[in-house]
Amino acid sequence: MALLDIKNLSKSFGDLEVLKDVNISVEKGEVVVVIGPSGSGKSTMLRCVNLLEQPTGGEIFYQGEDIVKCGKEVTQYRKHVGMVFQRFNLFPLKTVLDNVMFAPTKLNKLAKEEAKEKAIQLLNKVGLGNKILSYPSELSGGQQQRVAIARALAMEPDILLFDEPTSALDPQLVGDVLEVMKQLAKEGMTMVVVTHEMGFAKEVADRVIFMDGGYVVEEDTPHAIFSAPKDDRTKAFLARVLK
Amino acid sequence: MEFHFKRAFETLGPSLLDGVGVVIYVTLVGFSLSLIVALLLALGRLSKIKPLVRILSIFIEIIRGTPLLVQFFYIYYVVQIFINGISDMLGFETHMQIQAVTAGIIGFAINYGCYISEVIRSAIVAIDPGQREAGLALGFSEKQVMLYFIIPAALRNSIPVFGNYLVMMVKDTSLLAMITVQELLLRTKTYASQTFLTVESYTILALMYLVISLPLSKLCTIIERRLKQSK
Ligand SMILES: Nc1ncnc2c1ncn2[C@@H]1O[C@H](COP(=O)(O)OP(=O)(O)OP(=O)(O)O)[C@@H](O)[C@H]1O
Ligand SMILES: [Mg+2]
Repeated sequence: MALLDIKNLSKSFGDLEVLKDVNISVEKGEVVVVIGPSGSGKSTMLRCVNLLEQPTGGEIFYQGEDIVKCGKEVTQYRKHVGMVFQRFNLFPLKTVLDNVMFAPTKLNKLAKEEAKEKAIQLLNKVGLGNKILSYPSELSGGQQQRVAIARALAMEPDILLFDEPTSALDPQLVGDVLEVMKQLAKEGMTMVVVTHEMGFAKEVADRVIFMDGGYVVEEDTPHAIFSAPKDDRTKAFLARVLK
Repeated sequence: MEFHFKRAFETLGPSLLDGVGVVIYVTLVGFSLSLIVALLLALGRLSKIKPLVRILSIFIEIIRGTPLLVQFFYIYYVVQIFINGISDMLGFETHMQIQAVTAGIIGFAINYGCYISEVIRSAIVAIDPGQREAGLALGFSEKQVMLYFIIPAALRNSIPVFGNYLVMMVKDTSLLAMITVQELLLRTKTYASQTFLTVESYTILALMYLVISLPLSKLCTIIERRLKQSK
């Protein structure tokens, strides 16, 4: 059974059909990279997965259970699905440490000491052990994004969703964030990553999904997608971004 | 013309110091309550319960459309007539007599609460929606997101405006003279009419207000600057 199984997902904003018929399945431990032109519905698809957007139609099975219908257990479900945003969205009034340990103490009733220890461990892992008492505004974009990753990890999610985690960063800061993500992939974290970093896709992805116009147009191993794309839209897109 | 500032200061001064106590007490209690009222009104107006939003909007319009002084009179003289009348009809004997200071505090809490609620409401709306999404994505409920992330940030962003209202309230306490609160203006007026030291008395009164409000404004500016720096 797949960890995550998106079936016939559709989403409209008013008259605008953003997702038409999306089918994606993610196995435990898999790294799936989603690529596609702007406006193709990548973010909307990710946001539907943790129900930040309510799907208009279709089903999303998480460990075999349809979470679209689960209603009020949605907060329970979201604890298992971490999300990293393009713009980090750290809590500006909290220190780096508090950003990371707040959710586990409040939501998982973890003892303060234990949560703190774990948070420091995670912050060390993303290379920010020396910044725990800083405020987000005192950090670079790349550092903030690594805190955001640590914050998501602190809830011990089964799967992590990334929505263009590096596209708000200065080019020289992208590397550190990608490095952390590679490390996570190596440790077996299940990840769905929307990104324009084709190098990352080639190197880390188990599978690459190309979306266009609200559909999954093509999916395959990175090698197959990048060396021999089948669909004309995939070819055109890759020709544009790889040039 | 001959002035007797020294005499006026020596006799009016101590009485005004008592008045300052009243002003500080009313402002501190009134302002704290107005912040609570403001937060509740702001949250009420942001709720999804349509009738509640309507009622609160109308209430705020009424308060903002009438003078604060009239509201003080209303609370001090009119409300107790209603309360006593209604309890009469229900068969109780009540002779509720609200204290002037209490009426003043209630008036401030409601009036300033309405104005400040608009400040808080727009501060809440102005918080980056990414904050809510980050909170929800971690597994917090909408209510928890509001309580833990949105409200603290909105309140913090409103602090400079709170400061302005605080200074305004200090000055508005002079209106309470009209409902017999022994604040600064009423004490001065009584003194001036007894001694005919009109120029001296009202000059000292004006200085008194400056002595309170200038440092307060200064303090607000400093706090505002600090907040900007740490952002
Ligand atoms: N809340 C919303 N209300 C209305 N339209 C929306 C909303 N969110 C997204 N859209 C529209 O849906 C379409 C797909 O947006 P989405 O953000 O999912 O694309 P994307 O593939 O992530 O693009 P990008 O690469 O630019 O991030 C766009 O046309 C966008 O304008
Ligand atoms: Mg997007």
